[in-house]
Amino acid sequence: MSSEQFFVNRYKKLGWTYRQVKLKQAIRINTMNADRDKVVERLESLGIVLEKIPFLDDGYWIRKSRFSVGATAEYLLGLYSIQETAAQIPATLFTELEDKTVLDACASPGGKTVQLANIMKNGSVIVSLELKQRKMFALVNQLERCRVTNTAVYNMDAKEASKLNMQFDRVLLDVPCSGNPIADRDWFSKRTIEDVHRNARRQRQILAEAVKVTKDGGEIVYATCSLEPEENELNIDWAVANLQVKVDEIKCHGEKGLTNVFGKQLDLSIQKCRRLWPEQTQGFFVCKLRKQAV
Amino acid sequence: MKAINDFVAQFNTSIPLDKSHIVRNRNRYYMLPKNLKQQIPKGFFYAGAYLGAVKGSSFFPSFLLLAMIAEQKANKLVVDKKTAWLFICGRDIFKKGILTENNLKKGDYVLILNEHNECLGFGKIMSNLREEVDNNKVAVKNILDLGDFLRREKRKPQQPQGSKQPQRRDKKPSKSARK
Repeated sequence: MSSEQFFVNRYKKLGWTYRQVKLKQAIRINTMNADRDKVVERLESLGIVLEKIPFLDDGYWIRKSRFSVGATAEYLLGLYSIQETAAQIPATLFTELEDKTVLDACASPGGKTVQLANIMKNGSVIVSLELKQRKMFALVNQLERCRVTNTAVYNMDAKEASKLNMQFDRVLLDVPCSGNPIADRDWFSKRTIEDVHRNARRQRQILAEAVKVTKDGGEIVYATCSLEPEENELNIDWAVANLQVKVDEIKCHGEKGLTNVFGKQLDLSIQKCRRLWPEQTQGFFVCKLRKQAV
Repeated sequence: MKAINDFVAQFNTSIPLDKSHIVRNRNRYYMLPKNLKQQIPKGFFYAGAYLGAVKGSSFFPSFLLLAMIAEQKANKLVVDKKTAWLFICGRDIFKKGILTENNLKKGDYVLILNEHNECLGFGKIMSNLREEVDNNKVAVKNILDLGDFLRREKRKPQQPQGSKQPQRRDKKPSKSARK
C-alpha cells in the first residue's frame, strides 16, 4: 500500500474523505498599529480585493491582488500580517490576556506572537521560545516589523522551558508537527507513520514541560496543523490522564474532537477540542487546557 | 546610549529615553518596558523595543527608533505616493516627489514620511531644496528604507538587524513587488 493510500484510508476511518483543497491566502490586521477599517480601505485602494473571514475578528481572505501582499508599504509598516486562516484561531482562545504573563513556546516565524501582542495591546509580557537558530531571524524580523515591544525571545527548546524559572498565566503551544497534505503537496511522499509517532512523543514532552511552567488555573492552548490523531486527540487524552489538566470548552470554527479513534475510546472531554478538516482552512487541531491545582 | 543620542541628534532633535530601561545585549540596544525588565531572565536573544545596533564606529537604527524620532519635531519630509513606493524599493528621491519639508539644508539627515505621516526610512539631503531648480536631480539619497525587512530575508541569518551598509544599492523588495 502506498503512503498516500495508507493515510487516505485513515482519514476515511476518521470521517473525512480526502480531497485537495485550494487554500485562500489570509491576512490579519494588526489593530494595535492601525484602525482595522482604515487598513482595509488602504488595501482596497491599491486594488486588493478582500473578503472578511466570518469566524475571525481581524482576518481577511485575499480574493484578488495583482501583486504580492507581502511587499506593500502597509505590510512593511506592520499594519497587517500574512497568517493562514486556521493559524489565526489559537491566540484568540485565551481569556483575559491583557495583564497576563504569556509563553509562546514554539514561536517562529512569529505570526502568533505578534497576534498575542496585538490582543495584549503590546502590554504585559510575552516570552517566546525558538529552538532553531536559523528560525530566530524570521521571528525577530517579524517582531520589529510589527512594532512588538512586550516580548522577550530566547533561543531555547520548549522542552526546557522550566530553565527560565518563570511561571506563566497563559501558554501557547503551537507544537512542531507532521503538517498536512493540503499545506504541502509532497506531504504523502515525505511522511510515514513513524514520523507521526516520533512527533507525537516530542509533543507530549513539550506538553509536560508546559504544564510545569503554567500557574495553577492557567490556560494552555495546544495546536497543530496535523490531521493525525496521534498528534491531536490521542495526545490530549494522554495529557488529561497523566498531567494536571482538564479540557476547557472553546467556541471557535471547527468540528468536535474525536472521542473514538480507530476503535479506542477516549475521555469524553476530548470532544471539547476542535478539529478542522481542510475546507476553508488547512488541516488543523486546537484545544484549551486548564491546569488544575494539586 | 551615546551612540543612540548621537544618531538622533543628526535629525536636529532628541527623544526622551529613560537610561535605566536601555539594555545593551552584545552590539544591540533594546528598550525594555517596566514589566519586561522586572520579569525576564538574562540571556535573551531579543527583547522589548529594538533600537539599533553598533557596528564598528557606526550606529544602525531600527525602524522602531526611526518611528520614535518621527514623533518629535525633527528633520522630516513628506513624499507623494509614487515616490514613497520607489523609496521603499531602495530608490533615491527627486525634488518633484517631495510634498512638504521643513527648511532642510544640503547635508542634513532627514526622515522620509508618506502621506499618512508614517516613517519609511531616512536619507541625506543632497542639495539645498529651496534653491534647486532641477526637478529631476536627486534631492535625497536613500540610506535606509522599509524594504530592508524583505532584503534581510535574503541575507545571512547571522547578520544583525538594521545592519545594512548605507552605501548598498542592490535593493528591491521582491520580484513580485508592486510597481
